[in-house]
Amino acid sequence: MSKFLRVSFVLAIAALVTVAAALGAVGHKAASDTLVFGAASDPVIIDGPLVSDGESLRVIDQIFEGLVGLKPGTTVIVPKLAVSWSASKSGLAWTFKLRQNVKFQDGTPFNGQAVCANFDRWYSFPGPLQTDAVTYYWNTVFGGFKHPAQGSPGPDKSLYKGCKVVGKYSARIILSRRSSSFLGALALTNFGMASPTALKKYQADAGTVDSDGVFHPTGTFGTKNPIGTGPYMLKSWKVGDKLEIDANPTYWGPKAKLKRIIFRAIPDNAARLQALQTGEIQGYDLVAPQDIATVKNSSKLKTLDRPAFNVGYVGMNQSIPPMNNILVRQAVAYGLDRKSVVDSFYAGRGQVADQFLPPLVVGFAKKGVPQYTYNPAKSIALLKQAGLTPPVKIDFWYPTSVSRPYMPDPSRNFQAFSASLSKAGFEVVPHSAPWRPDYLGATQSGKAQVFLLGWTGDFGDPANFLNVHFGAKSDLFGFDNPKLFALLTQADSETDIEKRTALYQQASIDVMKFLPVVPYVHSKPALAFQKNVRGYVPSPVSLESFATVSYSN
Amino acid sequence: MLRFIVRRLLLLVPILIGLSILIFLWIRALPGSPAQALLGERATPAAIVQIRHQYGLDKPLYVQYLRYVDTTVHGNFGTSIVSRRPVTTELRERFPATVELSVAAMLFAIMFGIPLGFLAAKRYGTVFDHASLVGSLIGVSTPIFFLALILKYVFAVRLGWLPSIGRQDVLLDTPHPTNFYVLDGIVTGHWVAAWDAVKHLILPALALGSIPLAIIARITRAAALDVQNEDYVRTARAKGLPPHTVDSRHIFRNAMLPVSTIIGLQTGLLLSGAVLTETVFALPGIGSWLANAIFNRDYPVIQGGILFTALVFVTVNLLVDISYGIINPRIRLS
Amino acid sequence: MSVAHIELVELDEASGGLWSEAWRRLRRNPGAIVGFGFVALFVFVGIFAPLISPHSPLDQNLALIAKGCCPGPSVHHLFGIDDLGRDEFSRVLYGARSSLIIGVVAVAVALSAGLVIGGVAGYVGGIIDSALMRMMDVMLAIPGLLFAIGIVAMLGPSLLHIMIAIGVTNIPIFARLLRGSILAQRENDFVLAARSVGVPRHSILVSHILPNAISPVIVQGTLALATAIIDVAGLSFLGLGDPNPARPEWGQMLTNSNAYLQNAPFLAIIPGLAIVVSALGFNLIGDALREALDPKLRGRD
Repeated sequence: MSKFLRVSFVLAIAALVTVAAALGAVGHKAASDTLVFGAASDPVIIDGPLVSDGESLRVIDQIFEGLVGLKPGTTVIVPKLAVSWSASKSGLAWTFKLRQNVKFQDGTPFNGQAVCANFDRWYSFPGPLQTDAVTYYWNTVFGGFKHPAQGSPGPDKSLYKGCKVVGKYSARIILSRRSSSFLGALALTNFGMASPTALKKYQADAGTVDSDGVFHPTGTFGTKNPIGTGPYMLKSWKVGDKLEIDANPTYWGPKAKLKRIIFRAIPDNAARLQALQTGEIQGYDLVAPQDIATVKNSSKLKTLDRPAFNVGYVGMNQSIPPMNNILVRQAVAYGLDRKSVVDSFYAGRGQVADQFLPPLVVGFAKKGVPQYTYNPAKSIALLKQAGLTPPVKIDFWYPTSVSRPYMPDPSRNFQAFSASLSKAGFEVVPHSAPWRPDYLGATQSGKAQVFLLGWTGDFGDPANFLNVHFGAKSDLFGFDNPKLFALLTQADSETDIEKRTALYQQASIDVMKFLPVVPYVHSKPALAFQKNVRGYVPSPVSLESFATVSYSN
Repeated sequence: MLRFIVRRLLLLVPILIGLSILIFLWIRALPGSPAQALLGERATPAAIVQIRHQYGLDKPLYVQYLRYVDTTVHGNFGTSIVSRRPVTTELRERFPATVELSVAAMLFAIMFGIPLGFLAAKRYGTVFDHASLVGSLIGVSTPIFFLALILKYVFAVRLGWLPSIGRQDVLLDTPHPTNFYVLDGIVTGHWVAAWDAVKHLILPALALGSIPLAIIARITRAAALDVQNEDYVRTARAKGLPPHTVDSRHIFRNAMLPVSTIIGLQTGLLLSGAVLTETVFALPGIGSWLANAIFNRDYPVIQGGILFTALVFVTVNLLVDISYGIINPRIRLS
Repeated sequence: MSVAHIELVELDEASGGLWSEAWRRLRRNPGAIVGFGFVALFVFVGIFAPLISPHSPLDQNLALIAKGCCPGPSVHHLFGIDDLGRDEFSRVLYGARSSLIIGVVAVAVALSAGLVIGGVAGYVGGIIDSALMRMMDVMLAIPGLLFAIGIVAMLGPSLLHIMIAIGVTNIPIFARLLRGSILAQRENDFVLAARSVGVPRHSILVSHILPNAISPVIVQGTLALATAIIDVAGLSFLGLGDPNPARPEWGQMLTNSNAYLQNAPFLAIIPGLAIVVSALGFNLIGDALREALDPKLRGRD
């Protein structure tokens, strides 16, 4: 053998030996005061009002706190940084009594001025931050800005009118109209209190606008120095690698049990499960249904359930005939074998939806809801009654590259549904596109005739489900039903809880009679953890604190 | 030599201009809006219009193109719509991950591929030759992600020998001055960290390196076979030169010519493969980053990132061509 | 028949000899025989899938997976049941059909466009040659998979668009190959001879240069069939697969079963192996062809 060959073989063998040596040396021993959590992606930015995605909110939840919070595991509003509150008779002035002796993580005291500084910041966001893409929740809840950019809503549209400091530990929020969902919205992670000193020092909203009007953020508040009052504070964040938060030693409430939480981004669901099995992470969210059994059968792992707070539905666009015909929509409803899909693909964690609202939400109708049990014969009869000759061709859309709590595997739901529809007098033409943005683009611009979609609630209010979808004309569903729109508007502005409930129950029933969509599932998403992790309380709206989490031996 | 390099560098100009136009027009032809990518179910038509306005997408095409050229020439790739961070920052963090992965894969491929091909050529027609040929063909015939999934499942999940995801154990808190994690560990003297980074590279490098390994082995074999029958080799043998001198001086050196070209051409393939490998092993590199940028319609990332990778690809090939000249000065570089 | 023509016929017979010798050598190459075996099996299954499948690849039987996904191989279901209660064996058989179509169409796209571009560039030369080749350089500079993703993202996912995307990314390879090959042939004796007796340029190209320049293209075409099948699987893995998930396609099947790697590994391994075997078949043939057609290797056996 030549010299070269000898050298290269020695090298190759050395590499093999290295590998072999490496193999023995691996062992994932997690430090007992640190927990590694597998996230689906990195946060966008650690600044509540500027995000709407779950992975950002998960981290922000640990660092920031709002005036009000939710009782762990529920959607019940409880005091947080405000200890009590009251509304004026007109319902336009809300006074919050604040918790005393609370300090932000940078030492800034929390008081009435801090509250008003935060509200003023949100209200005065500069033009480039006024789009839904950045400040979705402010837009949705308060709906207006002090200095609106072209195309943005101005003060006339704003629910928020102003904030007044009344005494050191008291603040008053003035609204422009009565709102039944204002308090619930304040529990959103997006409206957590940030240190006014840090906001200024790290230039939270600063940025340069180039000649094209493109905004380039320059501040470091949301990337390096997010300062709130929460039980954890940011230690380091390296995008793509890891984000570390450490316990806040000066926290006003019970201190966090673990010293450090590390979030690492693992986009692939199967990879997250594998990392949990190897011990590289101690927990992750949104376990795929097919993996539940694997986790449950493992002696080292366990699952935790979130209450069902979502809905998966088959949408129909009435601007594309024959979907404008109620008989055809009924035929679709009878032609969808919802029970088989829910029973087969949700690993016992789904319940067949007979209406749009999940049972947990006020306004869920217990009786009077029309039922559409799978019945192919009836479906065919309805189609004939509508003057059509089966098989009726429909364009049925489903998304790829996505897993949502209400539809863990869209392609599977789609295939089962299209099989059941073909037995019920339809001829299904399949269409698919990657979830973001193609699929959502196609459905939201009204291109899709029949499609799979769903919704997860932001807060425990029926308006967040029904008004968002059926409260006004939309390209998505392509219908105009003034009666339904009026009913929903009336229900939302009703502040008497009983009347409100009754109105929403009526709306729930009306929606199922009108059938803009066929809801098919409310599912319980699952989290998976190592068995020795204790104290994690799943919440229907995913507002979950790591402060109570610890290891047990 | 210098004239050749200058000529090649000049050739880069039309390629880059063509590429920038291609990418630019292609992005404008993509359906969907970044607003939908950002907001998901919550996107509204108003938000879509606003985003288009904010990113200047409602301006005439030539204005947009000139702006794009102007900023790019100044080294400014803009800000990612999704992460809201400068594209150059993301590139700085992610490019090293992909380079590290590609280099590891290439090292693996070269270290095993060249000896394998050489031996096969020396034992032309034997069982070893056929076996290595078939083996290498199986290597080229296997989808990278399939191999990666299997490797990960067997060695990380089942056997627990190697980590399944990421570039380094998250419990390690070591500095990263260069973002090349192995290098960082060595430079800062954190041997444990460097070692840990190597362990994280093994499975991805095996998966990504399988195809180059197969190709390099085959090319080496073919090249060595060619050279073996050349007159100068026969002459050298006839002169009574010791076999290993003939091997290393005559056969090996000349056989390396086509091999070095292939190594250059593999750069593009490696990047394609990196998209899949990085996805499977949750590596924060530019392959998966660019694929996601296309899915998310993150225009600045697509524009900057693809231009950058193309530049790297072209540069690597230029370097390979130059090294070609160094290995064999007989070749006229024109 | 002029003297020049007779000469040309003789010279072309030499190339005919190339083919017959290649064939002779192919028959003696065990790799080629195995490759032909795999490909023949693949094509046979692809064409006759409806006749040999025990079940319909589309029939769902959710009752079969009531106890969890997914029951493994049994007498009734040779390769087990997939996540919608369908017979995996039948789906694998039908999958050969999709892969065959995808491979052939993608390569046809690449080959035809590549031949035109490479032929024009190689034969016309000059500015047109430079311009076309710079265009090819631009295309080559974008990593192939990203290029394909980009094309599918632009056109929208459909089987046809996937095939086009894979085809387009392969155009530069064929164009360059043919151009190089033509350039080499152009200086060959018989071309010079034909030119000297005044045979028209296009007829020289069509009847003399192309047939001789085509052999590396054929080799590359065979190899490209293999990569096309693999690339489609890669696109599926990234979520850009066939929009009809019910249609059996190996890449899609492999991708979907990734989630079941732990519970039902056969669902991933079987379509994975099907891809490997069919790609291997084409690669073996391509490889053997390359050796058989390589004049330098002649007479070594």
